[in-house]
Amino acid sequence: MRLTSRRRAFGWAGRSAIATTILAMVAAGLGWSGSAGAAPTTGVTSNSITIGATVPLTGAAAPGYDEIAPAMNAVFQWVNAHGGVYGRKIHYDYVDDGYNPSNTTTQTRKLVLQNQIFADVGSLGTPTQASVQAFLNAEKVPQLFVESGCNCWTNPKYPYTTGWQPPYTVDGKILGLYIKQHFAGKKVGYLSQDDEFGQDVVKGLDMEIPSSQVVSRQTYDVATLSGPLTTQMSALQAAGAQVVVLATVPAATALALLPAAEIGYKPQFVIDAVGADPPTVGPLLSSFTSQGGGSSSQASAAVGLLDGAITNAYLPAENDSSNPWIAVDRKLLQKYAPDIWSKYGLDGNTEYGLALGYTFVQALQAAGKNLTRQGLVNAIARSGKKFVTPGLVPLSYTSNVHFGYEGDSVVQISPSATPIVTPTGSFPGETTLAGPFVTSPGKGPVKKYTGKASLPPRELSSTA
Amino acid sequence: MRLFWNITLGGVSEGLIFASVALGLVLIFRATNIINFAQGAMAMLTTFIAFSVLGKGVGYWPAFVVALACGLVLGGVVQLVLIRPVQNKPPLNAVIVTFGLLILLEGLAGAIWGNSNRGFPAAFSQSGLVVGHTSIAFSHFDVFIVVAVLALVVLVALLFRFTTLGLRMRAAAFAPEAARLLGVRVSWLLTLGWSFAAVAGALAGLLVAPTSVFSPTFMDLILVYAFTAAVIGGLDSPLGAVIGGLVTGLALAYVGGYLGGALEPIGALVMLIVVLMIRPEGLFARPTARRV
Repeated sequence: MRLTSRRRAFGWAGRSAIATTILAMVAAGLGWSGSAGAAPTTGVTSNSITIGATVPLTGAAAPGYDEIAPAMNAVFQWVNAHGGVYGRKIHYDYVDDGYNPSNTTTQTRKLVLQNQIFADVGSLGTPTQASVQAFLNAEKVPQLFVESGCNCWTNPKYPYTTGWQPPYTVDGKILGLYIKQHFAGKKVGYLSQDDEFGQDVVKGLDMEIPSSQVVSRQTYDVATLSGPLTTQMSALQAAGAQVVVLATVPAATALALLPAAEIGYKPQFVIDAVGADPPTVGPLLSSFTSQGGGSSSQASAAVGLLDGAITNAYLPAENDSSNPWIAVDRKLLQKYAPDIWSKYGLDGNTEYGLALGYTFVQALQAAGKNLTRQGLVNAIARSGKKFVTPGLVPLSYTSNVHFGYEGDSVVQISPSATPIVTPTGSFPGETTLAGPFVTSPGKGPVKKYTGKASLPPRELSSTA
Repeated sequence: MRLFWNITLGGVSEGLIFASVALGLVLIFRATNIINFAQGAMAMLTTFIAFSVLGKGVGYWPAFVVALACGLVLGGVVQLVLIRPVQNKPPLNAVIVTFGLLILLEGLAGAIWGNSNRGFPAAFSQSGLVVGHTSIAFSHFDVFIVVAVLALVVLVALLFRFTTLGLRMRAAAFAPEAARLLGVRVSWLLTLGWSFAAVAGALAGLLVAPTSVFSPTFMDLILVYAFTAAVIGGLDSPLGAVIGGLVTGLALAYVGGYLGGALEPIGALVMLIVVLMIRPEGLFARPTARRV
C-alpha cells in the first residue's frame, strides 16, 4: 500500500516535470523562430563565426608549417578589430593533428560535432585532409582552402572541398616548360618524393620535357628520411644530369644539396616551391661550411648552396619591399601576431597564411549577411575569380574548378637580389626569370598571364 | 664505377652512425637485458645541450665535451630514478618506461628549444675528399666518424677486457647474485653501465646531427636502423653492433642506389627478417646457454 502511494506520488512529480520541460521547449522553439526567422547555421551567430582547422603543431611536419595558422589568425584579428564581417567576429579554432591522418580524423570530428564549427578552413596536408574529405562533405561542412597542391581537391563527388595553392602538376608543367625552353638538349634528372606530391610534380614535368632528355629518375621515402640522400645524388651525377629537378620538402632539399656539395656535383638545380623557401631551407644547410663550430657568417655561406637555384612562386617574394602586399603583411603580423613576427618574421610560411586569410575573409563577404554553408560554397564559385589577393595570378574558382591559383612565375634564388631578412637570419632573395604563367593541371597549354597583379584594398593598407 | 664507390662510401659513414647508436643499445642490453628505446632521445637531449653551449660562442670542442659529460650524468640519473624501480619487474615494464622517457624528452626539447628544423655544425669539413680530380662521397667529417666510432669500440673492449672495473661490470651483468656475494656493488655498476651507454649515445648525436636535419625527433629513425643493426649483430656484442651497423648502412645504400631510394626501409626490414630466420640470436651473439 505504502509502496503504491509512493509510486503514484513519484509518478505525479515525474509527469509534471515532463510537462514543464515540454512547455520550456515549446517556449524556446517559439523564441527561436520568432527572433531569427530562419534555421540557424551551425557555428554562426549574429556576432560570431566559429571556424576550425587541423594543422601540424608538433612532430616532424610542424617546423615551418606551424606558423601558417597563427599568421592566418592575424588577418582575422585585424578583421575583428575592425568590426568583423557583417558584424560577426571570426573565431579560429586550429588544433594539432601532428600530420597524422588518424589524428586528423578524430580532431576533425571533434571540431564538427563538439565545437560546432561552421567551416574547416586552412587545414594542412594531402594524406591528412584526404582522410576527412568524405566526412566533411557528408556533413556538408565546407573544407576550404586545403593547404596542399593535390589534384584531388577538384572532384565533383566532393563539392564542399576547395583547394587554394597551385596544383603540383601546374608547378611541374611551368618548371618543365622553362627547362625545355632554356636548357634544350641538356640532360635532366629528377629527385622526387615518392608520394602524390612528388608524382604530381613529375607528371607536370613529363608533359613538357621530352622523355629522351630525362636521364635519371630518383625518389626517396619521406616517412623514413633520416640522413643525406647520397645515393640518389651520386646516381644523378653518374647519369650525367646537368639539370636536376627536386620535388622535395624543405628537409629533403637540404639533405639533397648537402651530399651534392660533398661530391662536388654542381648541376643547375630546379626546386619546386614546396622545398625552396630560403628562410626555411637555409638554416638546415648551415652545418655544411661550419667546421668545428659555426659562426653566423659561415652559416650564411652555407646558404649559398641555394644560390642560382630556379624555383616557382605564386606569391610575391618576401624581399620585395616595393610590393604593397608585403608592406601590409609586415604591418599585420607585427600588430596582430607579435610573437610569430618576433620569432619568424615574414617568411614563406607566414606570407602563405596571411594570403589564405585574405581569401577567406573575402569569401565571407561574398557570401553576404545571411551566412550559410551552401551560400559560402556558392559565393566562392561565383565570385572567387574576383577576390583580391597577393597572388601573382588570379584565383580560378568556378563551380567546376576548385583549385585556387592555377599558375606561378619562374624565379631564381640569387645572392645579388635583395636578401630576405627574418629574425632567424639573412637569406638570399629571389629575382623573377619568367612569367607569371597560367595553365590547368590537365593537358592544356602553359600560357603567359598578361593581366595585372591586384593591389591590397584601401581599408587594409591604410589601417593595418 | 664512381657511382659504386660513392654509394659504398655513403653507406659506410651512414653505417658507422647506426653503429654508434647500436653500441649504446648493446651496452645497456648487456648489463640489464633492457632495450632502451629512449637511447635516441637521450642523445638528442645532449646534442641540444651542445647546441645551446655552441650558441654561447665557446667553440665546438668545449660543446662536444659538455655533451659527453651531460650524457654521463643523464644516463646515471635515468637509471637511478626510472630504471632501478622496474629493474626486477617483468621486462615489459622497463620497455614502457623507456618509451615514456622517449616521449617525455622529445616533448621537453620541443618546449625548450622549439620544434623547428635546424642545421648543426660538424667537427670537420663536410666537403668530399679529392681523389685524383674528383670529390668522393667521403669527407673529413666522415673520417672523423670512422675514427670516433672505432675509438669508442676499442675503449669499450679495453674497459671490459683489461680493467678491474670492466671485470666487475661483466660480473654484475653475468651473475649479479654471485658478484654481490663477492662484494661487487652491482646496482652502482648497472648505473655506470647506463652512464657509459649514454656517453656513446651523446657521441652518436654529435655525429648524426650535422648529416641530418636537427630537431627534437632527429634520432627517431636512426634508432630504428640502429636497432636493426644491433639485432643483426646479436644485441650483446659491441663488435657485432659495429658490423651490424656497417651491414645495415651498406645494404640500405645499395638498395637505394640500385633499386630506388623509396625502397630503402623495405630493404632494412627484409634484411632483419632474413637474419632473424637464419640466425635468430644474431650474427655475433654469445652462446644462448646464458639465456635461461
